Amino acid sequence: MLPQEQDRFLPIVNVSHIMKKVMPANAKILKYFINFITGEASNKCQREKRKTINGDDLLWVMTTLGFEDYVEPLKGYL
Amino acid sequence: MVMAEEEESGVSIQLEFPKGRVKKIMALDKDVKRVSSEALFLVSRSTELFLQFLAEKSAQVAIEKKRKTVNLEHIREAVKRHQPTRDFLLDELPPPSQPTKPDRPTQPAGRPKLDPPPRGTRRIDLFFRKPELDDPAQAQPPENPAQAQPPENPDQDQAQSPVPVDES
Repeated sequence: MLPQEQDRFLPIVNVSHIMKKVMPANAKILKYFINFITGEASNKCQREKRKTINGDDLLWVMTTLGFEDYVEPLKGYL
Repeated sequence: MVMAEEEESGVSIQLEFPKGRVKKIMALDKDVKRVSSEALFLVSRSTELFLQFLAEKSAQVAIEKKRKTVNLEHIREAVKRHQPTRDFLLDELPPPSQPTKPDRPTQPAGRPKLDPPPRGTRRIDLFFRKPELDDPAQAQPPENPAQAQPPENPDQDQAQSPVPVDES
């Protein structure tokens, strides 16, 4: 019987549990990242008198804030 | 919970973060009115990329410091090394824990070292020891038990009796 692909890796719950002990602040870090990106995109929308944040706003913000490495991978999903 | 997003080609993209939670975090900013589903998807994916980036850089710092476990100090160092991340995240990280230095050097295991006793005090075990005398003749009890008692003071009765006070 061939083992399933997931059986060749550690259970994700266990890995997550260890990560939580090692890095208790990682959830907050991600929250700050989301707030940072969203806030800048929101400012752009306000300047342009728009109410809805769209994908182009986020790509522009990431390029502006120094996360341009993310733009190309993300464009592939649009 | 894993969310799946369908592309036009029919290939499902697994999102690691729940959309609802990401949307709630985005809505914490009062200025955010509406968010398109495309924007929500991009925020979620970019957060995954950011976490991947931070984990890799933190692990790299841990390896440089010859550690097997990534801790908060390694994350802090990784954040410092990347200018865009440092700008928004460095101040938000918990302050580094200061190692408390003990006032005195730690004592080895065993009996604790006590402060010296005040001057004039004697050890209690001296009370239970026999007096060590140089002259062995002094150690023998006297033959007459009456001599062992201290001589009475003849003026003792007078000293203890009340002295009459001349009121005139």
